[in-house]
Amino acid sequence: MAGSGKSGGGERQMRVLLMGNPNVGKSAVFSRLTGAHVIASNYPGTTVSFTEGHMRCDGRACRVIDVPGTYSLQPDSRAEEVAVEMLDKGDVIINVVDATNLERNLNLTLQLLKRRLPMVVALNMWDEALEHGVRIDTDALSERLGVPVVTTCAISGVGMKDLQRSLADARAGSLEFDDADRWTLVGEIVEQVQRIEHQHPTVGQELSHATVHPVLGPLIAVVVLAVSFDVVRLVGEGLIGHVMDPLFERLWRPVVVWISGLLGAEGILHTLLIGELVEGRIEFGESFGLLTTGFYIPLAAVLPYVFAFYFVLGILEDSGYLPRLGVLVDNVMHRLGLHGLTVVPMLMGLGCNVPGALALRVLETRKERFIAATLLSVCVPCMAQLAMLAGLIGRHGVLAFAPVLGSLFVLWVVLGTTMKRFVKGLTPEILLDIPPYRFPYWGALAKKLLMRMRGFLREAVPYVLLGVLVVNLLYVLGIIHWAGVVLSPVVEHWLGLPAEAAGALLIGFMRKDVAVGMLAPLNLSLRQLIVAGVVLTAYFPCVATFVVLLRELGVRDMVKAAAIMVVAAFATGGLLNLILVGVGL
Amino acid sequence: MVTNLEQLPPGRNAVVVALGGGRGMVNRLEAMGVRPGKQVRKVSTQFMAGPITVLVNGRQLAMGRGIARRIQVDAGG
Repeated sequence: MAGSGKSGGGERQMRVLLMGNPNVGKSAVFSRLTGAHVIASNYPGTTVSFTEGHMRCDGRACRVIDVPGTYSLQPDSRAEEVAVEMLDKGDVIINVVDATNLERNLNLTLQLLKRRLPMVVALNMWDEALEHGVRIDTDALSERLGVPVVTTCAISGVGMKDLQRSLADARAGSLEFDDADRWTLVGEIVEQVQRIEHQHPTVGQELSHATVHPVLGPLIAVVVLAVSFDVVRLVGEGLIGHVMDPLFERLWRPVVVWISGLLGAEGILHTLLIGELVEGRIEFGESFGLLTTGFYIPLAAVLPYVFAFYFVLGILEDSGYLPRLGVLVDNVMHRLGLHGLTVVPMLMGLGCNVPGALALRVLETRKERFIAATLLSVCVPCMAQLAMLAGLIGRHGVLAFAPVLGSLFVLWVVLGTTMKRFVKGLTPEILLDIPPYRFPYWGALAKKLLMRMRGFLREAVPYVLLGVLVVNLLYVLGIIHWAGVVLSPVVEHWLGLPAEAAGALLIGFMRKDVAVGMLAPLNLSLRQLIVAGVVLTAYFPCVATFVVLLRELGVRDMVKAAAIMVVAAFATGGLLNLILVGVGL
Repeated sequence: MVTNLEQLPPGRNAVVVALGGGRGMVNRLEAMGVRPGKQVRKVSTQFMAGPITVLVNGRQLAMGRGIARRIQVDAGG
């Protein structure tokens, strides 16, 4: 393959396949090789469909394909089918191997060798292997397999240059063996090339056992989640109070006041750009102009919480805690027709429902995907919406949040157990590799955080601006008033909200944060805020999530899911209103 | 004493004797390191029919009870 002498041009680009077991760091290798930004985390299945990028090798441009992780090439699951299909299209394989777990990884390596494609083995997580006393004779391994072997630590970038250079020496392996003897051969090779020095249990292993202990584990989980929640709240509140609010007040206010003056403080253009003055003053949260509320919602009210949330989620992901949480909640999740690891998409959904919905692809059966998608859209509020609610409900104290989250949780359990009974299909049992605990690598964590923030800004700013614009147009055209009249039996009498709140339900389909923002000028009571918060979360996903779910579930299932959402939301909202009135709120 | 992984008490070591279940499940278990002849250590059992966790090759695996029940192990003694 090397030295073909011809340069790029019309010739087909060489395709490099990154293949290996789940959670060996393929995505980290991929982003190092290509400079492309992809999410890597410490749990299996981060990459659900293949990702493509470009790099230069041997002075030529070539394509790098990050194939989902597989344990073998026997097509037992969808991920494996994808991997086998990709093999037919590849020219060179980089087999990424977890050096701390050579034996298990070699099983796939040997199967790949049989395909007779030029190959290079990257012994990844080399630093961790050394730390654990694992010594591997790479020369002996290379000789045995008949392909180049390089050591790498993709997360810090060590060895990546060597890996790139080694591609020029990639060759088809020379090892001959019968498939039935594969495991014997794996054992033989491991015996020959690997030595394990001191293997006393590390702090990580002790901690690992404690966090899945049936009694200690749940206690630790409660503490971890409570601390996470508090950190998100404190960081979010802190950034708003000490950074974003002062920035808007000191730097942006003079600008919008000046513009407001130029426009003569009234007129259609003033309404669109600046919005309504509240007692003669611009209120960033309530005026509802493009330049005021339109910028304030995504940048000042929501971004700090999104930052805080993804910072904490990144630590939980990269440390390896999430699979353990998955094991702990597996028994509960099975009662809802799901298995434990579904807790990961649900947590991601708390940041934004879109990545949560995309992550549902790892689920194997239609039943699981349907239940999980419905529960995600009904019961998991996104950070944008929570941040806005925090601004409104937070005035009544942190505890005022409990009825909102509590109702959504109860709804989650009730809806899940019901769907488990009525949705046909199977929920497979959990079978999960629990990765060792790792100290998050700060560089990688910061990069992931930055990518997610950029993603949020790219999605949120235009949609929020559009949302604010649409709100104003709907007001001007009288559609919000009309919706209030038409929906008043439901909104006023059943949910106990003012008729104007109907407008928020319309806009919630565009952006939930803008919808909550529309409640700000209505001066709702705590009871009304709680009911509105729950109904706005549950009744329908925002358009971005809706599009993803439609693609993942198909039209027929999406219609069913949507019907469940609407019924569940209004039933819960009405009951909640009755209960809250009953307790005198 | 031959038993299965579900019955094996937490903290005990055993050697895998045989794997039951469909071909796909057996392949996956083998690929994850659970094969006849392998030493395993039961780490924990979750309440309410929750999953069990075992240590194989120094790595932790979690599996549902139905899967664990089909893994025959020899606990010695």
